Amino acid sequence: MQKVLGDFIHALRQAGLPISSAETLDGLNAAQLVGIDNAPLLKQSLGTTLTKCLEHRLIFDQIFDQFFNSHNQFNADYGHTPQTAEHTDIALPPIPMLSLESSLAQQLMSGDVSAMQVMIASAAAASGAQEVTFMTQVPMVTYRLMQALGDGALQQELAEMADRDESSAELQLLRQRRIRLQQHVRDYVEQQYLAFNQNEPSKRREGNLQKISLTSIDHRNYKLMGELVRKAAKRLASMHSRRRRITKRGLLDVRRTITANAAYDGFLFHTKWKSTRVERPKVMVICDVSGSVSKVARFLLLFLYSLQDVLPNVRSFVFSANMGEVTRLFEQHDMDQALAEVIHNWGNKPTHYGQALGDFEEMALGDIDNRTTVIMLGDARNNNEDGNVAVWEEIYRRSQRVLWLNPEGQVNWDSGDSIMRKYAPFCSHVETCNSLRDLNRILGSVLKHEA
Amino acid sequence: MIIRNQDKINSPDTIKQQFESLGYICSDAIATSVYLACHLQKPILVEGPPGVGKTELAKKTSDLLSAPLIRMQCYEGLDEAKALYEWKYGKQLLYTQLLKDQLGDVMRGAKGLDESVSRLHQFGDIFYSDEFLEPRPLLEALRTEDGAVLLIDEIDKADQEFEAFLLELLSDYQISIPELGTIKAKSKPLVFLTSNNTRELSDALKRRCLHLYIPFPSKAIEQKIITAQVPELNDKLKHQLVEFISELRDMSLKKAPAVSETIDWARALLLLNVDSLDHEWVKTTLNLLLKFQDDIEAVEPEIHNLLKVATKEN
Repeated sequence: MQKVLGDFIHALRQAGLPISSAETLDGLNAAQLVGIDNAPLLKQSLGTTLTKCLEHRLIFDQIFDQFFNSHNQFNADYGHTPQTAEHTDIALPPIPMLSLESSLAQQLMSGDVSAMQVMIASAAAASGAQEVTFMTQVPMVTYRLMQALGDGALQQELAEMADRDESSAELQLLRQRRIRLQQHVRDYVEQQYLAFNQNEPSKRREGNLQKISLTSIDHRNYKLMGELVRKAAKRLASMHSRRRRITKRGLLDVRRTITANAAYDGFLFHTKWKSTRVERPKVMVICDVSGSVSKVARFLLLFLYSLQDVLPNVRSFVFSANMGEVTRLFEQHDMDQALAEVIHNWGNKPTHYGQALGDFEEMALGDIDNRTTVIMLGDARNNNEDGNVAVWEEIYRRSQRVLWLNPEGQVNWDSGDSIMRKYAPFCSHVETCNSLRDLNRILGSVLKHEA
Repeated sequence: MIIRNQDKINSPDTIKQQFESLGYICSDAIATSVYLACHLQKPILVEGPPGVGKTELAKKTSDLLSAPLIRMQCYEGLDEAKALYEWKYGKQLLYTQLLKDQLGDVMRGAKGLDESVSRLHQFGDIFYSDEFLEPRPLLEALRTEDGAVLLIDEIDKADQEFEAFLLELLSDYQISIPELGTIKAKSKPLVFLTSNNTRELSDALKRRCLHLYIPFPSKAIEQKIITAQVPELNDKLKHQLVEFISELRDMSLKKAPAVSETIDWARALLLLNVDSLDHEWVKTTLNLLLKFQDDIEAVEPEIHNLLKVATKEN
């Protein structure tokens, strides 16, 4: 049982569930307690001990079914079904049974399912079925497994029997059973592949996507990318959204101490220490969705949406020429719908930073205070219009920090109609940001400074 | 506590039946979790939308095990002094004042500071002994002779630091008090932690607990719950009620009605002598189910359609 559960937990880990060894022990204890006969009960018990949030639980349920299905499938198809049992009884008088020499043949004819299962499992462990990393390896491993089970001897015996009497019922039956066994072994190997390695390639792909430039991601990967962005935003937020109180140890707060001890006749029993409270960051994000950044805009918006989803106090703005606040839109609609609406209303038009900043001044400049972080996602390509830098300077002066994330590489700044150099003096940081990794790194450091 | 009630908790099914006899209808998942928690002696972290019976589960378990329920409500700023123990400052102060004269007697004739201090030392830590200790919920749970059910409610509302402080209690059922040393549980309490997910709990805490997510109940279970809670309600209305609520939950509302709201609504309808749902009654009692004006406004034009679905299957 330990081995099976160990494998199962390995499969869970492969699927990305963080299961510690302490939880593994809990799982084993639970399984010992409830026994392994009652599948739904076992599923509940392992689920409650091994997974710690709803999201993981759903993945768990899926893998549990996949993993333990092979065993049940085996039982259903093989041996125990009445039909097969009948066949065995009728078609096989005891005498030809004795003539079988190879152990695999005897095993097959005996119809002992559990023994067969054990044999397959141990042969699989020996021939490395769990190490199948590509689907194309399945036939090879199946062959190896069959050999390990003693298929060589069986085939030889089959050939001999065919020489003796081609049309004997016994031969037909044995052949049939061998084919069925082969099928089972193949299924078993595939199941192992699915359980252990299915997620491996996607993990590799995720790793690559993190690094790839946002402009060169094609449509196929949009969905995956969306999930990655959401994951990243959630991680960032859970790391940094806490309000922390940093106690300055050793600095007595005299005023509060005296107040607190008034009841004790002035004897200072309670001591109160000075502490500074760090507030959660207030963030305003402005996102350029115009034609020049259309390729990255989707991901910036995606990140914006996720960030607003997980961080309190985020206000979101988008613009091409006119600027609009989309905080409420993001709150009310789900991601796809909100993104589509934003792109439809504001997207793919010529940029005019001057006008957009003018709108921003009206809408939100008054709300910027010294705890606010303003983040601009844009390429500063202004179609040779007036940049309205004065507003940007005002924003810079009022806020705690201003960040400009430019999806273009630094060499392209100030080329053509980009007016990065005009805005750059009024930013606390100006960074290139064209991959998910950049985005993670930059925002991570923002939030860290904040806390 | 566990041993005494062995027959009541010897399988998940028994627990389920026992809960039912106490008027708490639960799913298999809940029964299994309680069973495991009792036998593996691990805390359970209960999550789920508000009003699905997280707190009630702890209460019923304490009824089931006939053990005292010790409840601790968490909030921002909760600290050790309020959760674990406190020294009775007032009492300490009063005693020192009263004993002033006696102390004077003890001290009389002592030469120099050293001797006075060493004489004082002979008396031990009188003022920091059990007599002056004010136990708070956590300590109380550890000191209960025959085990208790400890409910730590809304742990997500407490600060991060407090969560870390709970770890020792949750894994070893012991607590360290500097003046007294380590206090071990006399009999291990059964711990329930509830969370509404207002923030992510730390992995260290989650690792020490079993995890139970209670979703909104299925229609069948909800109907059973209403039967248990409001037995006077007729079957037809009960059916309509459950259908209507489940339709409501499918709408995208700010706060979907939970079980507690369903029960409130059922009680209200009973009080109003309603025997079948109609448009007027639903409209006037909608504020029992929905707690946001936005939601009420969103649902009102839909009542007709919802009712059609709810009453159709009768």
